[in-house]
Amino acid sequence: MSVVEAPPTQLETTERSPGRSLGSFLRDSEIDTRMVGMIAVLVVIWIGFHIISGGTFLTPRNLWNLSVQTSTVGIMATGMVLVIVSRNIDLSVGSMVGVVGMVMALLQAEILPDIVGRGTAWMWIVVLAIGLVLGGLIGAFQGVMIGYVGVPSFIVTLGGLLVWRGFAWLTASGRTIAPMDSTFQLLGGGSRGSLGEAGSWIVGGVACLGIIAFLMSGRRRRRKFGFRLRPMWLDATLGVLGCGFVLTAVWVTNSYYLPENLARAVAEERGIPWPEGGLLIPLGIPYPVLILIAVTLVMAFVANRLRFGRYIFSIGGNPDAANLAGINTRRTIVKTFMVMGILAAISAAVSIARLNAAVSGLGTLSELYVIAAAVIGGTSLSGGIGTVSGAVLGALVMQSLQSGMVLVGVDAPLQDVVVGIVLVTAVAIDTIYRRRTAHR
Amino acid sequence: MTGSTNNPATDQVPLVEMRNMSVSFGGVHAVNDVSIYLQPSEILGVVGGNGAGKSTLIKTLSGAQKADSGQIYVNGEPVTINTPRDAKALGIETIYQTLALADNIDAPGNMFLGRELLTRTKTLDDSAMEDATRRIMGRLNPKFQNFKSPVSSLSGGQRQSVAIARAVHFNARILIMDEPTAALGPAETEQVRELIRQLKREGIGIILISHDIHDVFDLSDRISVMLQGKLVGTVSRGEATMDEILAMIIIGKLPGEVTRSELAELHG
Amino acid sequence: MFKRRNLALMAVIAMMIAACGGDGADTTTATTEATGTTAATTTTEATTETTAATDDEIIVGVSWNNYNEERWAKWDEPAMKAAIEAGGGSYISADAGSSEEQQITDVENLISQGADVLIILAQNVDAIRPAVASALEQGIPVIGYDRLIADPGALYVTFDNVGVGRLMAEVIFEQVPTGNYIIIKGNGSDANSDFLRAGIEEVIGAAVAAGDITIVGETYTDNWDGALAQTETEQFLTQANNDVQAVISENDGMATGVVAALEAQGLAGEVKVSGQDGDLTALNRVALGTQSVSVWKDARELGTAAGEAAIALAGGATLADIAGTIQFEAPDGTMMTSIFLDPHPITPDNLNLVVDAGWISVEVLCEGVTAGSVAVCG
Repeated sequence: MSVVEAPPTQLETTERSPGRSLGSFLRDSEIDTRMVGMIAVLVVIWIGFHIISGGTFLTPRNLWNLSVQTSTVGIMATGMVLVIVSRNIDLSVGSMVGVVGMVMALLQAEILPDIVGRGTAWMWIVVLAIGLVLGGLIGAFQGVMIGYVGVPSFIVTLGGLLVWRGFAWLTASGRTIAPMDSTFQLLGGGSRGSLGEAGSWIVGGVACLGIIAFLMSGRRRRRKFGFRLRPMWLDATLGVLGCGFVLTAVWVTNSYYLPENLARAVAEERGIPWPEGGLLIPLGIPYPVLILIAVTLVMAFVANRLRFGRYIFSIGGNPDAANLAGINTRRTIVKTFMVMGILAAISAAVSIARLNAAVSGLGTLSELYVIAAAVIGGTSLSGGIGTVSGAVLGALVMQSLQSGMVLVGVDAPLQDVVVGIVLVTAVAIDTIYRRRTAHR
Repeated sequence: MTGSTNNPATDQVPLVEMRNMSVSFGGVHAVNDVSIYLQPSEILGVVGGNGAGKSTLIKTLSGAQKADSGQIYVNGEPVTINTPRDAKALGIETIYQTLALADNIDAPGNMFLGRELLTRTKTLDDSAMEDATRRIMGRLNPKFQNFKSPVSSLSGGQRQSVAIARAVHFNARILIMDEPTAALGPAETEQVRELIRQLKREGIGIILISHDIHDVFDLSDRISVMLQGKLVGTVSRGEATMDEILAMIIIGKLPGEVTRSELAELHG
Repeated sequence: MFKRRNLALMAVIAMMIAACGGDGADTTTATTEATGTTAATTTTEATTETTAATDDEIIVGVSWNNYNEERWAKWDEPAMKAAIEAGGGSYISADAGSSEEQQITDVENLISQGADVLIILAQNVDAIRPAVASALEQGIPVIGYDRLIADPGALYVTFDNVGVGRLMAEVIFEQVPTGNYIIIKGNGSDANSDFLRAGIEEVIGAAVAAGDITIVGETYTDNWDGALAQTETEQFLTQANNDVQAVISENDGMATGVVAALEAQGLAGEVKVSGQDGDLTALNRVALGTQSVSVWKDARELGTAAGEAAIALAGGATLADIAGTIQFEAPDGTMMTSIFLDPHPITPDNLNLVVDAGWISVEVLCEGVTAGSVAVCG
């Protein structure tokens, strides 16, 4: 070879205009400005409701409830991002929740108890596993119709919306199925379904260490290749903010104490005399939220660090390019919808556990909220663009609005109007922002 | 002088030989019994009007299209190319007219699309890919600095250089370029032409499809002309004038057969 | 590729039709149109079995709005058919699949199939009126089933929905004469939500005005959804700092969510909850003590009353001749000849009613009930 290889790029010294340097600074530091914007909006909403509600919104109890209420939509939103990024849509999500939820409910409320009675330690695992498999199969089936047979996803999942809802009805003839297995119920939160004080601090500590490790490994890999490093102050600030946020969140969940009646019952059970100021038992991180966090981390990992995720993004960006690059686009589509089905099953489990029942309309209209969450979170309906964490934030924004409005007494029809306006506004802002930044 | 050097000289094994290739779409012969070959360090221009079938022919080599009949030989060995992966495995890289870049992914991601570098734990090694891309682009286009933005925010020439770098990096022995300078300005066009000459010097065989008759005439060692799916003929440098090649493209007559008046008519 | 795509489309459509096929029904097909405004667009079935008709027999035509709810197939229809056949008539029906346009077509079809009298469960009580007027003009009597079709020529057979609201409020009010109430209403666009609320108001209105009762939270609930009711109750409890003594829920499905929210706060059983429909899980809660009342409308009584009235009207009786009717002034001022059936409020004291009626088995009713706490459960 006659061409000399250039040395690895070291610190740049080229002059740049100030505007450019902020842009490239942000780009090099890999900070998502859109995410920061959404967090700001969330803070504004929270403070607003706190004032209007006369100080009830930002209490440990309400925030604890809010996090549980967000989890069902949030779990599914992480998967919907990938579906939409790949230039598809899944309208059947609510109906999948309905049919899988019904099946899981019937198993633990009627079918299995007839065989093995109630209260077995393993029933919840078996039921959950069956639910996940069923969700995966339904999703994969839809994926095959879309990826291999070539029917547009809008049509397949619209058909699915009708068909799975029909099956949901057929399995239980419209009845309400209750109660759930006592261990299974923990998946839904409630008074027993949380980690408790010690467990929550441990999780918080691990998360904090994880954030620091993540930042440090980022520095290490940049240094290894001689890339420009993030300034130390920035990394330190991010670390402090991240840890601070996590530990504050854990502290909030630990500040929500078991309601007095239940605490008394616990005291009786353990033979503890009832103390003067009352027995304060912190609830800690609710299990549904733990599930949501775990799902978010896994899906973000899949989207960013696995080939599968990269392929989904490439299909969304340019399906021809993906095919010409040798990517098996059809199999990728099947897997995408299969994942969506599994997530719907997880969400269904949380839903029926929380309600301690499966009602015949379970999951109705969920798909709209899930899609809205993804879109508010920055996912573009034309494909190729979206983040998992953004979708979860989008779900949190929407649930904060809805729960907040009930808290302050806004009636249901007006709530729907507000949510609709917020959705359109969020997408409008996003579109304008994208158009602006597209022209460098 | 007859310009029908379709068959390679027997003493040199061609880099690529395509024999009797045919592709039909529902009764229409897009490619009809076409044979061409390419030597190492050679630039073969493939030209023809719209619908001549040159893109389709080349797609059978790059794996984007399955031929109905015919056989491809690489370094003398018969091979089957059914997918783009098969072609790449044989050292055949393609730069498509549309560049085939994913707009939402950055340059390193596009560079390694479908062939990502993985860490030991089978996750994407983005840093290694970025590093490799920096080095590759440093060779080809030292002014290229934007490794983190999606390629949609790059200029036409920068996108072109990413596409070329991708094709060149993976030890291609055979490079197919479909309209490489169509969307470029004069300075960038000259850069690409210099790159093509450079690659030729390195022993790579290049198949060049272009509407720009000047480019093809300048760069190519041999030119194959197609018309309505059939091969009109292949001429070597010096065997035909630009007008005679034009005649092959438009009328389908070889330099020996075309009359002076027909040549004059070409210019209207 | 082309053929495969067509095949696939046909497969999807075939699946959809199969799902509609449900219990092997036949005859009068109803095309499914998921145009209902509520979200629960379940695929509908073709109609149920028809009984054979002879020339002089009275043919009773029944137009369902959406056959796919548990209630109609399980309770209303069998009772209706039994009453019709006991009166010497035969039964034909159609299912409108939640489509108001389809229901108008169904009514016309039933008439052309020879129906001598019509029983209509209206999808949209206003949209159906022209079809009703037309039937009456043709001398075919019409019975408005469960939902008020405000045409004075039609007989209105229903459970008194305002009465349901009254009954549930009465049980709660007796146990909680003063204190803080939450009211969880049904779908905002469903007239029944307001009928029930009116009945509730009759009972507690005076106490609210006097300040004995404070309503600390009141809301409509989209789709009568139980999960939504749970979130609503959680929020109201938070805002009221758990200082709530009663929650009036307009149906059992939502009561499920209400009780779940109360349980998370250790308030279940302490806070009095109401419901409606006689849902098996709700009756179980009544036995367990976490729900105070479920107002049970024995749909079989409704079906029987409609069937009997249909036979009478087709046999030449006038509206005034029908036994047990009263004159009821509809909200728009129309005077309706109506049969108002009494709902039964089921409380822990009269659980035997539902057991004896065969509505629920003792096993299901008493699941989890501690021995000796409820008479019926032993």
